[in-house]
Amino acid sequence: MKLIVGVTSCPTGIAHTYMAAESIEKAAKKAGAKAKVETNGSIGVENKLSDKDIEEAVAVIVAADARVKMKRFDGKPLIEVSVSEAIKNSKKLVEDALDGKFKTYEHK
Amino acid sequence: MKIVDLITKDIITLELSSSTKQDVIQELAELLKSDDRISDLDKFVEEVNKREALGSTGVGYGVAIPHAKTKYVKRPSLVFGRTNEGFDYDSLDGKETDLFFMIAAPEGGENLHLRTLAKLSRGLMDETFREELRNAKTKEALIHTLSQIDKEEEK
Repeated sequence: MKLIVGVTSCPTGIAHTYMAAESIEKAAKKAGAKAKVETNGSIGVENKLSDKDIEEAVAVIVAADARVKMKRFDGKPLIEVSVSEAIKNSKKLVEDALDGKFKTYEHK
Repeated sequence: MKIVDLITKDIITLELSSSTKQDVIQELAELLKSDDRISDLDKFVEEVNKREALGSTGVGYGVAIPHAKTKYVKRPSLVFGRTNEGFDYDSLDGKETDLFFMIAAPEGGENLHLRTLAKLSRGLMDETFREELRNAKTKEALIHTLSQIDKEEEK
C-alpha cells in the first residue's frame, strides 16, 4: 500500500490542524492508500513522522499556516498548501500525490 | 477530559436567532457570558474576530468553528448552535453554514481539553456524525451524539 505523509498546522492549533489531518487520512483511505499525518497543534507535535516514514512515502503534503520543519523532506515529491485547502480539497491532493504530480522539494 | 466536561445544555442552542456571521459570534459568546465561562464578552468576541481575520473558521460541510484561546476564558468550553436555515459564514466551500461550534480555551494551564477538541475536529470531518448533529431533536440527544467523540481512539 502506498504511503503519503503529511504535516498540518494552523494559527491557533485547536481545530483546523486536526480537521486537515483527518481529511487527508480519510481521502487516502478512500483512494486505497495510507496516510500518516503529523499534527503540529497547540498540544504540540503528535503522530511525528519518522525518517523511515518519510523515506517510504511516495509524496509529502504540507498543509500549514504556521512554520513546520521542512529540511527532512529534501528530495521528496512535495506540495505546500494552506490548511484550509487540505480540509477542502484533500481528495484532489491525495490523487495528485499518488499520481506523482508533485515537484521534488529542494531545501534551501 | 470528556466532551460533557466542556459542554452542557446551558450553552447549546438548537435554534439560533442570528443569520449573519457577526451576529452568530455574538450570540454564541453571550451564552458563554451568561453561563459565567468568560470574564469579558467584548474582549472575547474581539479575540474570536482576530482569529477569523486570519482565515474564516467556516470550514465547509456546513460547519463553522469560531474559536479563541485567551485569558478572558475562565474554563474550557464548547458552545453549540444550530439553525435550520443555513446562512453565509464566509465558508471555505462557499456554501451555507448551519452547525456552529464556538470553542473557548483558556491560556496556559492544562491541555486536556485540547485533546478533546482535536477529536471533535476530526469527528466533524465525518458526514454521518454531522448528520446526527443536524437531526438531534433535543439538547440531550445532541450531547449524546457528541459523546461518541469520547470513544474515538487517540491518534
